[in-house]
Amino acid sequence: MGQRRQPRRVQAYDGELGAAVARAQDGDEAAFAVAYRIVQPGLLGYLRSLVGDDAEDVASDAWLEIARDLGRFKGDGAGFRGWTATIARHRALDHLRRQRVRPRSSALEQDLLDLPGPHATHDEAMESLSTERALELVRELPRDQAEAVLLRVVVGLDGPAAARVLGKRPGAVRTAAHRGLKRLAHRLGVEGAEDEGVTDEASRTLGESK
Amino acid sequence: MGERLSGDGVRGRRRAHPDGALSGPWDALDDAGLEMLLATALRGGHSDADAEQRAVAAFRVARDSGAHRARTRRRDDWRVREERRVGRPVKTTLGVLFASLTLGGVAVAAIGSAGSSSDNGDGRGDAHPSTVAPHRPRGESSQSSAGSGRPDHPATAQDAEAHCRAYEQVKSRGKALDSTAWHWLVSAAHGEDKVVAYCSEQLARATERSTPSHSAATDGTGNSDKDAAKTGEKSAKSDGSSQGSDGRGSTSGGQGGAGKGSGGKGK
Repeated sequence: MGQRRQPRRVQAYDGELGAAVARAQDGDEAAFAVAYRIVQPGLLGYLRSLVGDDAEDVASDAWLEIARDLGRFKGDGAGFRGWTATIARHRALDHLRRQRVRPRSSALEQDLLDLPGPHATHDEAMESLSTERALELVRELPRDQAEAVLLRVVVGLDGPAAARVLGKRPGAVRTAAHRGLKRLAHRLGVEGAEDEGVTDEASRTLGESK
Repeated sequence: MGERLSGDGVRGRRRAHPDGALSGPWDALDDAGLEMLLATALRGGHSDADAEQRAVAAFRVARDSGAHRARTRRRDDWRVREERRVGRPVKTTLGVLFASLTLGGVAVAAIGSAGSSSDNGDGRGDAHPSTVAPHRPRGESSQSSAGSGRPDHPATAQDAEAHCRAYEQVKSRGKALDSTAWHWLVSAAHGEDKVVAYCSEQLARATERSTPSHSAATDGTGNSDKDAAKTGEKSAKSDGSSQGSDGRGSTSGGQGGAGKGSGGKGK
């Protein structure tokens, strides 16, 4: 199935990433920029659902720390994803602590309206899901499920790495990701079929994407 | 991805709605499709060139200031487990070595009080319990050797002497004694500020004792003192590994103790 291959795209750059990190550790700043470009989109997606609009600021802080501590890091491309995700997560949690804002209560309307372009190339009848709507759906999940899904799917970590980032057992994280995805699929499926139990805003979004 | 996240969970649920209620655009969605959809929707978006520049600038500063030579902490080590092990043997070996030296020293300190050659067998017996329990307070291990020690020469005096020598030696190098030994000394001296006085007294007594008696005892204690000093310096470092390798640590500790004990006897 063509679909099976698709999610791997997130990790497809791991080899390249590992090489870039190694060169950056030898002092090559262009290589560091390459690593940045590979990792940043996933980090930002993850951070957005944790801290909403402040994601870019938090990511910026995280990158300062990553840049500073790069020499300490040991591992390959996949490891670098995990390491950076851990740093980003700590920054996000610090941020939330400072703000005393619960992760899912922060505003998510603004700034997130940039819809991704149509992805008809990806597969059959799959329609694009707006960033806004996707974020909203993910934020409806319990926090552990949301994080597990994001780390696996958006950041591109494997199970053990996601577990290490979250400081939990791999089994627990696998279960959380499974439940989270199931719930998301359910929400999407239900909405697609009957618009049942969704907010007005959600229906509107769905109407757009149909 | 190594493992499928949701298996057939998603499809299974969909099959539970056979009435075709799910004929919307999401109908074709399986777990992989959903993951793709989410990844596409949530990843990144617009790239901010300024943010990248700031990150690269921070990288440059760190590189030029030598920050990149900082040591790898545990949380920075993301190598897969097999790779990580490759880096360990040296550390582990050193840890075991320190542990055996340390424990050997304790054993010798215990044996040393026995002094005469007839105690060699006993010494071996004593060395073992004190090595398998490296965290046991010194008082206890001295009790275990008190049985075989000379009655006129209580083991606590010996211990005090050993600790004091360790203290002197370590202090002169500007290092701190490990907490167990330090607490021992503080309680023995009845106060932190009295340790120095206590120790000078103890060491003076030890010199008195050793002068008239046979030189073997002096040698034995001298030996053990050195090792006890090592205890002070190294126990903090070697604690972790000595716990991890109890079996090996205790074995080599026992050997070390026996070996040194007989060395003292030979003289």
